[in-house]
Amino acid sequence: MSFGFPWGLLALGALVPLVAAYFLRRRQKPVVVSALFLWRTPRPRAEAGPRWERFTREASLLLEALAVIAAALYLSDVRLGEAARTKHLVLVVDGSLSMSARGPDGVTVLELARREAAKRVEDEAATRVTVLATGLSPRVVAGPEAEPSRALAALESFQSRGADHDPMPTLLWAQELAGAGKHVAFFTDAAPVEGLVIPAPVRWTALGTARENVAFVSAQRKDDGGTATVTLRVARFGAGPESVSVRLRALPGPDAKQGTERVEKVALQGEGSATVRLTFQNAGDVEVSLPDDALLEDGQARLTASPTRPLAVSLAQGLGPLERDALERFLAASPDVARDGAAGETLLMGPRGTDAKVTVGATGKVRTFVGPFFSEKGHPLLDDVQLAGVRWSAGENPPGHPLITAGDAVLVSEEDDGRLHLNVDLSRSNVQRVSAWPVLLGNVVRESRRAREGFVRRQLTLGEPLQLVTLPGKRYTLTGPSGGKPVFGAGAVSLPPPAMPGRYVLERDGADGVDAAEVLALDARESDLRGRGRADVPARESGDDEARANASDRARWPLVLLLLALVGDFYVTRRVS
Amino acid sequence: MSERLDEAAVGRLAPGLGLALPRGPHRGRVGEVRAASTGSALELHDFRAYQPGDDLRQLDWNAVARTDELILRVRQDEVSPRVEVVLDGSRSMALSPRKAACARELALLACEVGARQGLSPTLLATGVRSERVQGSACRAALRALEFDAKDDLVTALGRMPPPRSCGLRVVVSDFLFEADLPAMVARLSRGAAGVFLVQVLDAEDLAPTGGEGARLVDSESGAALEELLTEEVLAAYARRFVEHQRVLRAAALRSRGALLTAPATETLNALVMGPLRPLFVAGGRA
Repeated sequence: MSFGFPWGLLALGALVPLVAAYFLRRRQKPVVVSALFLWRTPRPRAEAGPRWERFTREASLLLEALAVIAAALYLSDVRLGEAARTKHLVLVVDGSLSMSARGPDGVTVLELARREAAKRVEDEAATRVTVLATGLSPRVVAGPEAEPSRALAALESFQSRGADHDPMPTLLWAQELAGAGKHVAFFTDAAPVEGLVIPAPVRWTALGTARENVAFVSAQRKDDGGTATVTLRVARFGAGPESVSVRLRALPGPDAKQGTERVEKVALQGEGSATVRLTFQNAGDVEVSLPDDALLEDGQARLTASPTRPLAVSLAQGLGPLERDALERFLAASPDVARDGAAGETLLMGPRGTDAKVTVGATGKVRTFVGPFFSEKGHPLLDDVQLAGVRWSAGENPPGHPLITAGDAVLVSEEDDGRLHLNVDLSRSNVQRVSAWPVLLGNVVRESRRAREGFVRRQLTLGEPLQLVTLPGKRYTLTGPSGGKPVFGAGAVSLPPPAMPGRYVLERDGADGVDAAEVLALDARESDLRGRGRADVPARESGDDEARANASDRARWPLVLLLLALVGDFYVTRRVS
Repeated sequence: MSERLDEAAVGRLAPGLGLALPRGPHRGRVGEVRAASTGSALELHDFRAYQPGDDLRQLDWNAVARTDELILRVRQDEVSPRVEVVLDGSRSMALSPRKAACARELALLACEVGARQGLSPTLLATGVRSERVQGSACRAALRALEFDAKDDLVTALGRMPPPRSCGLRVVVSDFLFEADLPAMVARLSRGAAGVFLVQVLDAEDLAPTGGEGARLVDSESGAALEELLTEEVLAAYARRFVEHQRVLRAAALRSRGALLTAPATETLNALVMGPLRPLFVAGGRA
């Protein structure tokens, strides 16, 4: 048992007058009378019943003393058992990739932070520890208010591989968790920049070391047929080597018997960067690496094969010969387009009046326009569509939102469900013979490709948001290195940047992955280790870490005991009328 | 006003006093007072027909001559009635020395006056050891009497043998106990031509002093009651006392008796001249 506010025990002094009053009352002079019945109010209770009244005064004294003791215990903030001595320590660890950088002795900054955290916990004899990690999205590593051993164990398994970010939101959150007047320990690898306003209770401890570093700042792979083109950008931060060897190792692909390994020597001029582009045939995953330096993580990348998925396009029955020819001519020249694909969603093009995704044709009275044409500015379907010199013959206005108009005629419209109507009579128009035709259809194919289920981009670097497309009515789960989480929303969804690099798989309805994306541990700002160093900025306000006198944390049972004692005293001292 | 048995005061008062005997017929040994039974006194009581066994001397021969029937003269007997003094021996009678002395003096005065009146007094003391004495032994018994009974008069009477017939019964007590008062008074008046309830009360019984808290202890049972003697409490006591007296007085009247309240604070002479005047009449003989 301990007391958070021992001065509250002074309330026990109220026992002295209480007991004194009891004994003073007990010593009242006895007055012998001839008969008591003239003094006593007649009691309805049978005289042969229990003589509880005999003990009334003693019971009242005991209950009143109990009430005083309960009040003193509450005021003194009594704590029993585990709550007897509780000291909460909130630790914040920088979750950025640079914390994994090694110092001259080969020890990572994160390891130093772990040691310092354990030392703080031991020095301050904390009984409850909360560990937070900064990041684009702050997260709890241990706690809240976990046992110190569990918190330190969680910190031991924590990996800091996040993108560059602002730690302030995490520090403010830690301040809230610690409570008013309590200190927060923040471990990072760089001193605060000039002018940065650190929250008053935060002690900023920088454990980094300024190092030189050579890193990949970007790595991309493009698969075109059986050819994989790998583009790497290598940068040097600080006075490093003039040249660096880039090691590329291509694992064998499905049709290859063995892999390929190359070493490219890259010259680094000044503090600039150099670009390396290599191609591999029938390659599986390609592993690229730089020689070991201060930060290993930014010198390694695994580029998985991400072949482009061809868009299936089919032409519906009923198209006129002119329309069919014009569409066939475009599709024949369009890359990554598969005709009549069996799998996946198909882009159906058909005549006017059908439910095809894209309709071509005009009905009703046909009018020909040579301009001026009015286009909806900025619409992705109209990117680079130039209608100068075009003679456009259109019939009745199609339904939907107009995209291109001429006079009161709607030439191109789009419905809410994405269906596109090209109100054109190709027999009287020259649209299909000008550049606007393939550009317009190219935009249609591009948007259809973007609307396909899966990730918009399959190779990302740290700090880039995950953009993906989901189908309505389906349930998706995004599984990554830190576990899976559901994806809410239909259509184009933009998820916050992943906290960890690695492979992220989009799963639909708990089945196999629909698509996968690779987040590479590359961040130029994190690879620049020149500004790192050691610093210890104490908290600007002196906290009261010892006293945990928070009224809301006080034990409630003394109040209950006090209430019961008062009610009991009221009961035993009541007067029966 | 003595706190001890003042036999001298009793001796001074007794010669000039007499007990007020009731007008109804008495029972007792042969004496001078008209009895309830028929006897050989000169005073004619009634006539009736002769029945075998009757005293032939009581035949009214004139009436026999006139009516030719045997007519008997019925004459009332003349007896010497007894006086019985019952003294409550409970502890409450010794609430104060003056109360105890007053009770003893009144009992002794009744015995002395009765003896002078030829009423052969009998004293019944209801202490822990109940006593029944007669004649001159009453004085010695009163001297040695201890008010030590832990129960009230009703309970003490239950321990005693049934009361005998007597002419007058004088009961000296404070009558401050919870009981069926009409039944108690009826029992006390049973077999007696008249009964006087002499209620000896201390000053604290009549008007208790207050102003502070006290542990009220019952003088007989020892039971305690914590009470703040406020004006309200004292007023409640007064109300209950008046009600108690009313019930007691009504019970006495129903039993052809009388309740005489004797404050112990007054002298014996003042009591005889004042509240006890119905019992002690001046002149020496009733």
